[in-house]
Amino acid sequence: MSQVKLSLQNALLTLEQLQQTPSREDGITEEQEDHLRQLGCHLIQHAGILLKLPQVAMATGQILFQRFFYQASLRKFAVRDISMGSVFLAAKVEECPIRMVDLANVFDHLMKKFHRLPLDPMPAFQQAFYTLKDATIVAEMQILKKLSFNVHVQTPYATMINYLKVLELIDHPVIPQLAWSYLNDGLRTSVYICYQPPTIACSVIWLAARKENVALPTTPAWWEVLDARLEDIENIAGHIASLYHRPLPISSLPLTIEQVEPYLRGEFNSNVINGSTAISTASSSKGTRVSRFS
Amino acid sequence: MERYQSLEKIGEGTYATVFKGKNRSNGDAVALKEIRLDSEEGAPSTAIREISLMKELRHPNIVRLHDVIHTENKLTLVFEYMDQDLKKYMDQHGNRGALGPIVIKAFMYQLLKGVAFCHDNRVLHRDLKPQNLLINRKGELKLGDFGLARAFGIPVNTFSNEVVTLWYRAPDVLLGSKTYSTSIDIWSAGCIMAEMYLGKPLFAGSNNQDELLKIFKVMGTPTEETWPGVTKLSEYRKDFPYYPPKPLSTVVPMIDTFGMDLLMQMLIYQPQRRITAKDALNHVYFNDIRGYANLQQQQQQQAAAAAAVQMGGNGGVPNGQMMGQPSQQQQAVPLSSNPPPQQIVYQQQQAQQQPPLPYQVVQMQQQQIMQQQQQQQPQQHQMPPQPYSQQQPMHQQY
Repeated sequence: MSQVKLSLQNALLTLEQLQQTPSREDGITEEQEDHLRQLGCHLIQHAGILLKLPQVAMATGQILFQRFFYQASLRKFAVRDISMGSVFLAAKVEECPIRMVDLANVFDHLMKKFHRLPLDPMPAFQQAFYTLKDATIVAEMQILKKLSFNVHVQTPYATMINYLKVLELIDHPVIPQLAWSYLNDGLRTSVYICYQPPTIACSVIWLAARKENVALPTTPAWWEVLDARLEDIENIAGHIASLYHRPLPISSLPLTIEQVEPYLRGEFNSNVINGSTAISTASSSKGTRVSRFS
Repeated sequence: MERYQSLEKIGEGTYATVFKGKNRSNGDAVALKEIRLDSEEGAPSTAIREISLMKELRHPNIVRLHDVIHTENKLTLVFEYMDQDLKKYMDQHGNRGALGPIVIKAFMYQLLKGVAFCHDNRVLHRDLKPQNLLINRKGELKLGDFGLARAFGIPVNTFSNEVVTLWYRAPDVLLGSKTYSTSIDIWSAGCIMAEMYLGKPLFAGSNNQDELLKIFKVMGTPTEETWPGVTKLSEYRKDFPYYPPKPLSTVVPMIDTFGMDLLMQMLIYQPQRRITAKDALNHVYFNDIRGYANLQQQQQQQAAAAAAVQMGGNGGVPNGQMMGQPSQQQQAVPLSSNPPPQQIVYQQQQAQQQPPLPYQVVQMQQQQIMQQQQQQQPQQHQMPPQPYSQQQPMHQQY
């Protein structure tokens, strides 16, 4: 069979594609783009937890979100709409469909929380609901079109569990959870767009083992046995670890399309405080943040 | 949409309408599947699966998706045009629905080629049935309707078990297993093979329970001895009525010995012991299609042509060179009147004495296949369950 196995392998981008994104061409800075991408992933992860979706569905949603903004600009499509569309679509692809009402309620709640607004429940069947619903349906079709229906995503979770078993780390008190959390947090970076899942799985194990000072076999090097290159492993680990040095100013980031232009002009302030909130993923809340990467 | 002209309506499903159409630029016939977009639920997940998988699967035995067109409130999928489906073909060309052994072999080979390609690309079809196998005038058979298909990763997660039309649904799925894999499509292929010989569905149950009983009545009620682990499946009942297994050759008496061996390997209870599509293609049953030399491509075309001739109703089947068993077509007639098993054994010997099928070669190949299977089976049996079963708690835990 000479055909490329596209249906499973994740599409990867080249360095040029990574650097010259549609948003960058649209006058958005690298830092702004990074913040907005992280914001979208943060929203998707938290929405998934509230909707009780399996982690694989949240991961699929975040990867779709990331892929989308390599095809479209953050100036034209709002973080809110595309993250809602990504969750809705990921739930369908991963066969754990969700109800639109639940999705809208969860997003309404999270957006109020992010912008530090009073957490009043969304009134049922009012304009606010229909706005979110319509935005989701439109966003879903936009994602499908921009990605030309390439919505099958391979995630590294199961591979990583298998690798942990091979390395006899599966019963370690800290490493499995730590590595799993790195996989979750890594979704906010470009590593899932640049590397295949097995390489990412090796990298988070490498990172977690370093953090815990656990030595892994070197003769032969374990990553070679698992077909990964040390250079890639270090690169991915660097990307993930650097997340913990970049606090995300959640409350001062735009969610809707109306908020984008003021934000880009430096005039957007969410209502209350302009403070910075460091990212915290619910799944990595058990003290898994690395303070320093060495 | 200007590129395609819609002609007559050829079918209507739950979420789509299919039209015959024409490509305006080159006049090619196409099938246009129009999917209504729901303003409440967005794009139907069946459409998402079908498009995302079919646009990547390019194979002569898989219906080609040419184009996807999005307009205001509908999606139109543009497929290559196929004349009819296997169900209609059997109704029109079969003898009370039953097809001749040569056509069946040609169709089974193409069906398994398509399935093997899907599995090789880690896609499960999950809805194989005669209505989803499309046939054109050249006698080519292609898999269509990937609305239930799924890409599978390393662990086969808990999938939905509302898949596959009841009559073609594997017993492990009927018994509630959600960790099925490629073997689910093989069971369906086996049911289709038997149906082509019989002219009617092999296990035509009216509901989940009835379908299981129909299977048990032929294959015997499974026990821990015949199917280790069966009692742990969620839909297993201790009070299933006990049926002893019946020889399949009494249920589908018109199959020759090699065909029967293949069918039996496709309809094995234990999913991990069911033959794979790849191994099935190498089965002795297909020896004459594959040819002893590397004439595979040529032979496939001939096989397709043979089916086409029959489809066109042009009289006799020029089966001589292709099958190497010129007498088989004639044998099929007396066979349909329930011969005892001994008679089949006798006919196998007869078949083996035909000049183009050297006795030793066949026997050697058969032995090789048997040996390979014996070597493979324990491995297959041990490997998958271990990672799967231990992985699941991990997913639930986090």
